[in-house]
Amino acid sequence: MRHSGELISAYLDGELGGEELRDLFQHLGECGRCTDELMQIQEVRGAIRSLPVMEVPPGLVPVADVVPLHRNRGFWASAAAAVVIVVIAIAALVTPPATTISADDLNSRFAARVSLDPAFGPAKVILPDLIEVPE
Amino acid sequence: MTESAPLTWEEVARVYGRKIYNFAYRLTGNPNDASDLVQEVLLRVRKGLDQYQPGSFEGWLWRITRNAFLDGVRKENRRPTSPLPDEIDRWSLAQSPGADVEYARIGLGDDIQKALLKLPVEFREAVVMCDVVGLSYDEIAAAVAVPVGTVRSRIHRGRRMLRESLSS
Repeated sequence: MRHSGELISAYLDGELGGEELRDLFQHLGECGRCTDELMQIQEVRGAIRSLPVMEVPPGLVPVADVVPLHRNRGFWASAAAAVVIVVIAIAALVTPPATTISADDLNSRFAARVSLDPAFGPAKVILPDLIEVPE
Repeated sequence: MTESAPLTWEEVARVYGRKIYNFAYRLTGNPNDASDLVQEVLLRVRKGLDQYQPGSFEGWLWRITRNAFLDGVRKENRRPTSPLPDEIDRWSLAQSPGADVEYARIGLGDDIQKALLKLPVEFREAVVMCDVVGLSYDEIAAAVAVPVGTVRSRIHRGRRMLRESLSS
């Protein structure tokens, strides 16, 4: 058999089978030159395949537009949520606690208001009686 | 292999954009020419999708890509195979985020890239389609419109030339 030549690359690429593959193995067992070539081609093949994958420049294809936008959207959504939380926390700190006013207090306030302005009404807050619901 | 065409060119760009860009980058050796080639390919895909006949979509796509590259080589014929400059264009790299990281990554493959650019076009495209894009010999044969035996021969001779170039 003549030297293997291109069968070596085809073998490395998984493109060889059957009789050609058997012939190649047989030849490699007998030919130091082709065995050396196999090693060298394997090395250069590995070097090409180890080249870094180049990232597509932003904006060149649709995916380059979409991916950063998703990332940005995620960032701004988180930032907006953080701002809202801070605003709520500050509001809670500066807002005085709510006070409860009894009906009597309310009535006395209305009475005071009415004494200053008789047209203001109603003068009295009437709370409906609570109906007791039988269990 | 995909047997039916994606619905839109945007899907083609989304699915194959990175592969096309890497194919273009390794064939041209610089990001600007690679970007131009990707744009040209996507333009041709956009125009051609209506006429696409069901079959080997990747064969069709890579034929378009390869023809666009060859047309660019014929048209410009000034720096189609110009080797990478010793000093990589830092200005253009600085336009994208992570430029330092990208520069370091490019530097790793400088010697191999320069050796690739010294290969005659037919050997370079066969090696790049096989080792960078990951196409099978059948797919390369379909894209380049040559017999599989020719693809096999070009890939092996291309690798041999690369080995000699790298060892000299």
